[in-house]
Amino acid sequence: MVLNRRATPLRRGLVLVGFLSMWTLPALAQRRVEVTLTAAPTRLSLVPGAPTEIFTYNGQFPGPALEFREGDRVTVHFRNDLPEPTTIHWHGLHLPFTSDGSPFHPVAPGETYDYVFTIQPGTAGTYWYHPHPHHRTGYQIAKGLYGAVIVRAADDPLKKLPEKLIVISDNRFAADNSIDLPASLSEAGIVDRENGREGDIVFVNGAVMPTIRIRAGEVQRWRVINASAARVYRLSLPGHKLLHVGSDGGLFERAVEVDEIVVANAERVELLVRGTGSPGDRVVLQALPYDRYIPQTRPQTWNHTRDLLALQYTKQRPVTAEPVPALLRPVPVLDTTLSSATRLMVLTQGMINGQMMDHNRVDVAAKLGATEIWEVENLVGMDHPFHLHGFQFQVLDRNGVPEPFRAWKDVVNVPKHGSARFIVRYATFPGKWMFHCHILDHEDHGMMGILEVIEERNAEARITKRSK
Amino acid sequence: MGSQRTMSTSASLLLGLVVVAALAGSLFVSLGADDASASVAADEQVMRGRALVIHHACGDCHGGFSNPNADGWLAGMRDTAQEFKIGPFKTRPRNLTPDNMTGLGRFSERQIFNALRYGLRPGETPDVAITSTTPGQGNFPAHPKYLAVPMPWPAFRHMSDQELRDIAAYLKRGVKPVSNRVMDSEGPPDFWASEYTVEKIGPYPAAAFPAAHERAAP
Repeated sequence: MVLNRRATPLRRGLVLVGFLSMWTLPALAQRRVEVTLTAAPTRLSLVPGAPTEIFTYNGQFPGPALEFREGDRVTVHFRNDLPEPTTIHWHGLHLPFTSDGSPFHPVAPGETYDYVFTIQPGTAGTYWYHPHPHHRTGYQIAKGLYGAVIVRAADDPLKKLPEKLIVISDNRFAADNSIDLPASLSEAGIVDRENGREGDIVFVNGAVMPTIRIRAGEVQRWRVINASAARVYRLSLPGHKLLHVGSDGGLFERAVEVDEIVVANAERVELLVRGTGSPGDRVVLQALPYDRYIPQTRPQTWNHTRDLLALQYTKQRPVTAEPVPALLRPVPVLDTTLSSATRLMVLTQGMINGQMMDHNRVDVAAKLGATEIWEVENLVGMDHPFHLHGFQFQVLDRNGVPEPFRAWKDVVNVPKHGSARFIVRYATFPGKWMFHCHILDHEDHGMMGILEVIEERNAEARITKRSK
Repeated sequence: MGSQRTMSTSASLLLGLVVVAALAGSLFVSLGADDASASVAADEQVMRGRALVIHHACGDCHGGFSNPNADGWLAGMRDTAQEFKIGPFKTRPRNLTPDNMTGLGRFSERQIFNALRYGLRPGETPDVAITSTTPGQGNFPAHPKYLAVPMPWPAFRHMSDQELRDIAAYLKRGVKPVSNRVMDSEGPPDFWASEYTVEKIGPYPAAAFPAAHERAAP
């Protein structure tokens, strides 16, 4: 549900109409979309008993799901009514540096900020937004600040399918129902910092164990977002094979059938769920055990299976399944022979290349338009989901095993003692872009670096100077 | 915690044994290193490190015993029989060869020095010069994460700066990389911090001679 949104075709779009057939019109009819978001403290009932003091966007938990179309010119009028600085980071979207909501652009309490960006062509997919202030991201997301973004393409091959948005997060509560945020020096605080903060209560769209209805035979498109600070979900729907059709940056070329799928922090997956059960059936979407932990702080409950939501078949007679197109959309190849540099990122606990985040340091400097390969090595015994701002990339291989198909990603989970390589083209916007572990406690404690993409003619000189 | 008590007993026994070996080793080295000039060739440093590694028995746990010709020299645990059980925890000798992904290849000589002098795990400690032993001061991490208890760093730390650098130089430059992934050691959530208090492992540098149980030669 988008609040305060106005859609107006641009003059330019109207002028072009005379020259274009009706088929190409929708892709070019740019709309202006305006959204107002206000972050503020709110009291809401999240668990039985007393209400909980949380933070919300527009009073909602999670924040409102925003829907845009490729080509939309978006302005988000943001107001910070929190008692502390914050930002809104548009996770995965290609947009100008000043609208990225990174720690470089904090919005002080009581202030407003306009995030202005155009939804780039070819970026239809599932994204999300969340705060990204320095050292406080984990806290503010734990307090409830996050929401989904859906970007639609005019020629969406799956547009006939009914959709379900599934935003998964976890939290834990103190005896008085306040959000349980331990002191950093306490035992729980130290464990949170190692593992990332996990909660024993898993929310789907802000509810515990909600029900999704499906008619036998129906094919549903599920957009799943892992908005958890640290918990990784290994999703399984007993008795059902899932069709994996998309990830962070949208659809693949072809659907891939899987029994289960791991969704790491901040990752998104698009799944087709086929109603192969019988009318009246009930199945539970589960998170199977996934050992991402170092042995020293692995929780005793790590191997528990968790129930996320119920899929309830209606009593209606089965319908004929909607066919899934063989080709979903072309995913362009990023040519590895065009790569002008390989960037080695060595992850250890809380650090990248042996260093902690410094606002005044540029870790990687590159030219706008350059194509590069990043090699991320994880030297420690726990998974680290690695996120790059500003640009979608394509994973080339993990632990040396080539990726089976091309996909646009902005997070790659680098497994314990493992590695991943991806290729990225700094195609669109110059600026300073963060890269970091998306376990929020790690990010907040400095497991983050800065990529500066430089546009100027003298970029060469600046890059040489920086890398000294 | 009852389990912690068991752990410290077995750990101190083990430590005791290795401390004796380590002290004997340092004595030998300090005699032999008398004539070392300030501008030693790099390979001399590696050779000194090699001697230290051999007679500090690094290979007894990390592979190959005292024989650099042996298969798996310093390559870490290759069989679960080499696990040490400390209370409820299984600890595993790590791969000390300079392999990038599974050994010490991605760690600097300074990080290896910090491991031997301060007991700090290289993967969890920034690559910086440390000038203090007080958490939070002089680059000593506020929440130090220590090597598992079987590693006798509380004894090794008493070697000279030069000796520790020699060992780091040998491990990084004098050993062939071997790819052998050893799973992380288990341990308490405080990464053994409560086992490495001054009360338990003594001060650094060591107390002035004669300490409580020592006497000047008659």
